[in-house]
Amino acid sequence: MRLIQGHGRYASDWNMAGQLFAAVLRSPHAAARIVRIDTAAALNAPGVRAVLTHADAEQAGFKSIVGGVALKDRNGQPMKKPHYPVLAKDQVAYVGQAVAFVVAESATAAQDATELIEVEYEEQPAVVEFADAVAPGAPRVHQDIEGNVAYVHEHGDAAAVEAAFARAHRTTRLKVDSQRLVCNPMEPRACLAAFDAATGRYTLHAPSQGLIGARTHIEQITGLPAKDVDLIVEDVGGSFGIRGTPYPEYFMAMLAARTLGKPVKWVGSRSDTFLSDYHGRALALCGEVALDETGRFLAFRWTDEINLGAYAGPFGAFIGTQNVSITSHGVYAVPAVYVRSTLAYTNTTPISAYRGAGRPDIAYAIERLVDQAAFEHGFDPLELRRRNFITPAQMPFKTATGPTYDSGDFPAVMEHALKASDWAGFPARRKESEARGRLRGIGLASYLEAAGAGTFNKDQTAARVGDDGRITIFCMAGGSGQGHETTFVGVFADELGVEQGVIEYRASDLAAADLIGNGTGGSRTAAGQGSAFKALARALIEKARPLASALLGGEADYADGRFSAGGKSVGLIDLARKMARGADGRHPLDCEAEASSPATFPNGCHVAEVEIDPDTGVTDIIRYTSIDDLGNVLQPMLVEGQVHGGVAQGWGQVFGEHAVYDRESGQFLTASFMDYAMPRADWLKGTFTRESHPVPTATNLMGAKGVGESGCSGSLPALMNALMSAVRPLGVKDLQMPVTPVVMWRTLNQTARKAA
Amino acid sequence: MYAFEYLRAGSLAEAGDLLSKNPEAKILAGGQTFIPTLKARLAQPTHVVDVARIKDLAGITVTADAVTIGAMTRHVEVGNSAEVRKAIPALAALALEIGDQQVRNRGTLGGSVANNDPAADYPSAVLALGATIITTSREIAADDFFQGMFATALAEGEIIKAIRFPIPKRAAYSKFHHPASGYAMAGAFVADTAKGVRVAITGAGASGVFRWSDAEAALAKSFAAAALAGLKVDDSNCIADLHAGSDYRAHLAAVMTKRAVQKITG
Amino acid sequence: MTKIAFTINGKQVSSDVEGRTLLVDLIRDELKLTGTHVGCDTSQCGCCTIQLDGDMVKSCAMLAAQADGANIVTIEGLADGDKLHAVQQAFTECHGLQCGFCTPGMIMASVGILKANPNPSDEEIVKGLEGNLCRCTGYVNIIKSVKRAAELMKL
Repeated sequence: MRLIQGHGRYASDWNMAGQLFAAVLRSPHAAARIVRIDTAAALNAPGVRAVLTHADAEQAGFKSIVGGVALKDRNGQPMKKPHYPVLAKDQVAYVGQAVAFVVAESATAAQDATELIEVEYEEQPAVVEFADAVAPGAPRVHQDIEGNVAYVHEHGDAAAVEAAFARAHRTTRLKVDSQRLVCNPMEPRACLAAFDAATGRYTLHAPSQGLIGARTHIEQITGLPAKDVDLIVEDVGGSFGIRGTPYPEYFMAMLAARTLGKPVKWVGSRSDTFLSDYHGRALALCGEVALDETGRFLAFRWTDEINLGAYAGPFGAFIGTQNVSITSHGVYAVPAVYVRSTLAYTNTTPISAYRGAGRPDIAYAIERLVDQAAFEHGFDPLELRRRNFITPAQMPFKTATGPTYDSGDFPAVMEHALKASDWAGFPARRKESEARGRLRGIGLASYLEAAGAGTFNKDQTAARVGDDGRITIFCMAGGSGQGHETTFVGVFADELGVEQGVIEYRASDLAAADLIGNGTGGSRTAAGQGSAFKALARALIEKARPLASALLGGEADYADGRFSAGGKSVGLIDLARKMARGADGRHPLDCEAEASSPATFPNGCHVAEVEIDPDTGVTDIIRYTSIDDLGNVLQPMLVEGQVHGGVAQGWGQVFGEHAVYDRESGQFLTASFMDYAMPRADWLKGTFTRESHPVPTATNLMGAKGVGESGCSGSLPALMNALMSAVRPLGVKDLQMPVTPVVMWRTLNQTARKAA
Repeated sequence: MYAFEYLRAGSLAEAGDLLSKNPEAKILAGGQTFIPTLKARLAQPTHVVDVARIKDLAGITVTADAVTIGAMTRHVEVGNSAEVRKAIPALAALALEIGDQQVRNRGTLGGSVANNDPAADYPSAVLALGATIITTSREIAADDFFQGMFATALAEGEIIKAIRFPIPKRAAYSKFHHPASGYAMAGAFVADTAKGVRVAITGAGASGVFRWSDAEAALAKSFAAAALAGLKVDDSNCIADLHAGSDYRAHLAAVMTKRAVQKITG
Repeated sequence: MTKIAFTINGKQVSSDVEGRTLLVDLIRDELKLTGTHVGCDTSQCGCCTIQLDGDMVKSCAMLAAQADGANIVTIEGLADGDKLHAVQQAFTECHGLQCGFCTPGMIMASVGILKANPNPSDEEIVKGLEGNLCRCTGYVNIIKSVKRAAELMKL
C-alpha cells in the first residue's frame, strides 16, 4: 500500500538535519599503480569538508574487505586472496574501483570536487578474459599472486569418473559460457550514515538483504562492534544477491560521519552500480557425459572456469565451487561426478552471487549437454531424460555430489510440462512458421536447484503483543520485493487462526527483538523464516494455553483463534488484551521461536517455444511454459511473480545482457543502459503458462522448497535448447549466450555459406 | 552537470541576441538528448537558452503540397496530429516510434534535426521527403543540410524555425530498434515523391543519415520489394561497434527498406 | 539562479533554483516528495516519471527551471484522499509490483497509456511501457494491472 502511493523509504529517501553529501572518485584504469594522490585542490573547493583516501581508512583501522572461501585445495593450500582495501592504496585493479571519497555541503559540490583530485597513475597491462589471465606470462593482477589463479576446487570422485569414461559406449562434450552480467536492481546503491558521539553508536541506512550478516561484515572490516551499529533497512529496490554485503561507500560514510560530526549521505548513480556493484555469473562450464549402450549416464565430468574479477568478494568464490558442484548432475541418477573449478583474478569488477549463484549456470550446462548427447547419439531428448531421471521410488536419493534429495517426481513434472506446452503439436506449428519464412524451435529443461543455503543453521522469530492485543512479529530477513509481509503474516495468522489484520510484520528491528537469522538469499525465506513463524505461532498458543485454561476453569483446547473449555471460550486476541505486563515491560504472551531448515530441492521443467526471423536474427518467444515443484505453495501470486521475474532475467542473459570489457585496455564498454540491453515489457511476445506440481517436502515445517531463483535455472536452458532446436536442422552446431540478433544472423549466414 | 546560467527567450530575436552575446551558449528545446548530455558532463555550455515559449516555433500548417511543422513541435503532437496523419501518415507514424511515451511528450522536431544523431529517426524523414529546413536566416534543402555525424549546415547562432515537408504520393518508415538504447540500429524512410523515389537510411551510417541511391533507382523502375532483391547497402561506411558489425547494419538497412516498401505496397 | 513557481499535487510552490538543478532533484530534495525515484543516469529507466501539464514526462530529463508555471502531479498526488487511483488499485490486485522501486514511474506511465487510450491492447500497453524498466516482475503482472485498471476505469 505504501509503495503504490510513493511512501516507500529506500536508502536515498532518508535525510537527517545537517547532513553532508558524498561523491566517489573511481579509477579510470583497469590496471595501474597509484603513484600519488593530491587532494589539496579538492579540499579547497567550495563547500568541501573532507577528501578521504586509503590513508584515512588505514588510520581508522579498516581491514580488508572480507571474501573468498575458507576451503583448502588438494594440496592443503587455502584460496589466494589479495588484500581488498576499502579505498585503493597502491594500485587500482579494475575500472571503477573506489579511490577517494569526497564529502561536501551539497551533492554537486562533492561531484565537482572529485574532478579536482589529482591522481598520478602508472598504467599497466590489464587482463580481462579468463583465458588471458591464466595464460603463461600473463600480467599479474596482483603482484603477490603468480599466474592469477586464486584457487582450484575439486569435488566428486575423479577416479570413478575416469573409469566410467573408459568403459563408456559413447561420450559427448559441450562447453557453455555463462557470460558476465550486471545485476542492475532498479535502485542504485545509496547510504546515509550518522554517529552519535554521546552514545558511540552509528546509524546506517543502506540497502541490505539481511541485517545480521551485514553488521558482522561491518565489524570484520571496520572493527566497529556490530552492537554499536544500527543498520536500518526499510525498503530495498531489488537485490538479487548482490546487496547482501556492505560496500566501501558505507564504511567511508560512517567514518566521515564520525570525523565530521555530521550525517553523511551518499547517493550512487546507475553508473556507480554498473562499475562497482558486484557483477554476476562470468564463468564457463565444460561438460562431458559418458553413456552406456542404452543411453544411461555413467558419469558427468565438469571443468569450470570462473572469472572472479579483481578481488575475492564475499560470495564470488562459492559460486563456481560449492554451488555449481552440489547440483552437478541435476535430476539424473548419475553414479559418478567430478568437478574441477579454477578461479582466476582479472582486472574486472569482482563477482558475487547473482540470482541462482551458480545453480542456473550448472542447470544450463547439464540440460544443454543432455540435449547435445541426444542429438549426437540419436536419442530422442525426452527419452534420454526419462531413462536417466531419479525416480520417486529412489527418494530419498543420496547423490554422488553430496546432498540427499528428499523428494521430487521429475518424470511426472516433465510429463506435466509436455502436456501444458502442447509439445506434441509442435511439428505442425513449425510447418506453419516455415510457411511464413520463419524458423521455429522448442526446447525443454528439467532443472533442479539447491535452495535454503544460509550462514546460520537456524532462523529466529519473535512475537511482541500490544496492549490492544495486536501482535507484531519479527525476523532478520531483509525484504526487497519478495512479499515477506504477505507471506510471513499469512503463515503466522493461518497457524493461529486469526485474521491477518491483527498481525504486523517488522523486518530487521534488533531494538525490538534481538534475533539471529539468515538474510534473504538462496531462496530460503519461505522454508526458513516461514517455518520459524509457524513454530512461533505454535509457541504463542502453548504460552497462552495455561492462562486460558486458568481463565476458563479447565484444560483448554485451541482452534480457529479461540481457546475453549467446558462450553466456555475466549479468543486469543481478547485474552491478550486482558493481560497486564510484567515488571520488565514484557507482555505475558511475548515469545520467541526458531527453526532449522536444511536445504531443499526445488525443481521443475520449463518449455520454451521460439520463432526466429532469419532476416534480422530476432527471436520471439511464442510460448513459455513453467511447471515447478516448489513443494507446498504458500502464496501462489507471489510465487508466480518470482517465476516471471526469474524467467525474464534468464531471457535477458540469453538474448542480450553482457557486461563487456575491452580486451586490450580493460575499459568497461557496457556501463549504462545505452549499451547494456535490459529486458523491457516487450520481452515476451507470446503466452506464459505457469503451473505448480507440488511434491511436498518434510524437511521444514512449511513443506516449502523455495522459488526465488528457479526462474533463471529453468529459462537459460529451455530458451537455448529451443534456439538450438530451431537452427540445428540448418546445420548450426552451437550457439553461445547472448544470442543477440546479430549473433543469430551471422550464425545462420555462416552456416548457409558453408553448406553452399 | 557543470554549472551554467539558465535563460529563457521569449522571441527569436531575443534568442539570437542571447546566443550572439554568449558564444558558449546552447539552445534547449525538448532536452531529451541535451539534458542527458549535460548530465554526463559531455558538454559545458556557459548558458542554456530555453526556446520552448517562442510562439514562432510552434504550430503545424498544411497546404495542398506541404506540411510545415514548427521546430518546437513535440513528437507526440506530430504523431497525433490529424492533419499530419492525413497528409503524411508515415511522418506521424515515425514520430510515434521515437524513444518512448515520455520522450515523445518533450522531444522536438527541431531539436532532433539540429542535433543530427546518426541513430535518430527524423533525419531519415527529412531527407527522404526532400524537406526544407527553414531557419532564422535562410532555407536549406535537406540534401544540403546533413553533413556528418552530429554535424549540420547550421551556422553559429542560426536557429531552425520550422521544417517544410512536401507531401509525397506515398511513404513509409521501418525501424529496427537498438536493443539497449531504443534508437534506430537501422531505419529506412521510403518516399515516392513528386520528384521521384527517395530512400533515406538512418542508424547504420557512420556519417549519419544517407540516401541509398541504388534502391532509389531500382524502385523508380519498379516500386515493389522484389525490385530490391540482391541489392546491398555499401557497408564500408556503416557503423561497426560493440553491438554489431558494419555488415549487419548494412544488411538491416536493406531489410528495413524492403519492409518500408512492403508497408506501402501491402 | 532562476525563480520558479508551479503547482504540485494541488499545492502552489515556489523556489529559487540553479540552472543545473534537475526537476527530479527539486521534487525529491527540496519538496521532500521522495516517491519519484532516480533509477539511472541516461534517462532510460522511467523511475522518475511524473505528470506535467497532463503529459507523462521523465523528471530527470527536465531542468527544474523548465517547470515554471506547470501543473505537476507525482505519485503522491495520484490518489484522491483515501481513494486510490484505479491504476494503483489494479497494481495491488494484480501483484504488479515486488520491490516497488520502479512502481511510481510505472504507475504514472500506465496512467498515461490509459489517458491516450482507455482500451489498450496488450501490444499498446507494451509500447506505452517502453520507457520503463522493471527488474523484479518480468512485466507480466504489470501488463495485467494496466488491463485491470482499464476495466476499473470503465465502472
